[in-house]
Amino acid sequence: MYQNSLIDFNPYNSLSAVEVGKHLYWKIGSLQLHGQVFIVSWLVIATLLTLSFLGTRNLQRIPEKFQNFMEFILEFLQDIAKNQIGEHEYRPWVPYIATLFLFILGCNWAGALIPWKLIHLPEGELAAPTNDINTTVALSLLTSLAYFYAGLSKKGLGYFARYIQPTPVLLPINILEDFTKPLSLSFRLFGNVLADELVVSVFTLLIPILIPLPVMILGLFASSIQALIFSTLSAAYIGEAMEGHGEE
Amino acid sequence: MIDLPFLLAEEIEGGLFDFNGTLPLMALQFLTLMVLLNTIFYKPVTKVLDERDEYIRTTLTTASSMLVKADELAAKYEEDLSEARRNAQLKIASSQKEAQNIVSEDIKKAQLNAEKLIAEASKQLNVQKEEALKTLENQVDTLSDQIKVKLLSSQS
Repeated sequence: MYQNSLIDFNPYNSLSAVEVGKHLYWKIGSLQLHGQVFIVSWLVIATLLTLSFLGTRNLQRIPEKFQNFMEFILEFLQDIAKNQIGEHEYRPWVPYIATLFLFILGCNWAGALIPWKLIHLPEGELAAPTNDINTTVALSLLTSLAYFYAGLSKKGLGYFARYIQPTPVLLPINILEDFTKPLSLSFRLFGNVLADELVVSVFTLLIPILIPLPVMILGLFASSIQALIFSTLSAAYIGEAMEGHGEE
Repeated sequence: MIDLPFLLAEEIEGGLFDFNGTLPLMALQFLTLMVLLNTIFYKPVTKVLDERDEYIRTTLTTASSMLVKADELAAKYEEDLSEARRNAQLKIASSQKEAQNIVSEDIKKAQLNAEKLIAEASKQLNVQKEEALKTLENQVDTLSDQIKVKLLSSQS
């Protein structure tokens, strides 16, 4: 395809070819896996675990530098959950919201900060795990499950009463919302991250030096915003599902 | 559907919307990460934060109770102090009065003594005066007798 002609044309082809929709396939039993996604996500997970292990090794009442940093992060994440879910019920959901934020932020930044193009894979390329639709759909489906679980465990079957509130006329729209929520969540994250990486790689393809830099910085900013949006929206959905609709 | 060969590749493998086993495994992986982070990060740090909150709250309450106690003690000392001052004033007043009493009594006693002495002295003076008068009277008698005698003898 035109990709080959670009590679022929560009002297930096090893560093800056545009590759979209190519994956490194692994097979486990009958399952097909995208290897590059797992490699980078393991790296992210290992980083997160190492950081939190180092940061919480020696917890004290008066925090030292590293502990202070970890406490700051946790309080920030708790605030996201608290603002969306409410003072009384946010605590059980902090792990989910916090892990969402940290994992997505880690994945986005891993894609943006590490020069993956230097590592060659037989097929596909290493990039942010969140630029694979599987990852984002997995996360948004987990959010859907989470808010259904939250609503059902809080109100039992009375949870479904909210589909006909405020009027039964809105029933189809309310049902549709359950599909649009994960769809919009996953596509927002996927689209933003993929678009950012595409823009950066197209820019590097054209002008390899300096010009892509502002876009990369913008990408860093945008990917942290995306992590915040994903976790905030998840928390908002969970909070909304637990919220009483005039029953309390 | 969009018919771009690199977006949706149904015949050949790959494509942007290529759903496969990555999805469930990623979900599982994410849940595992959540559990692990919960045990090594969220739980201990939350516990430390809660403990610190608790510690600060209890310290604050003890501090405020101590403050109240200190205020009470100060008030009590103030009261004690004023009472002691009042007592001292009273004692000073009473001892001054006592001293005055003693002094005035002494003065009275001394006056009495002096009066007694004066009275005695004047009594003695009177007695002596009377005695002297008596002796003088006697002498007057004798002298008058003698004068009479002398006059009579000279006449005769």
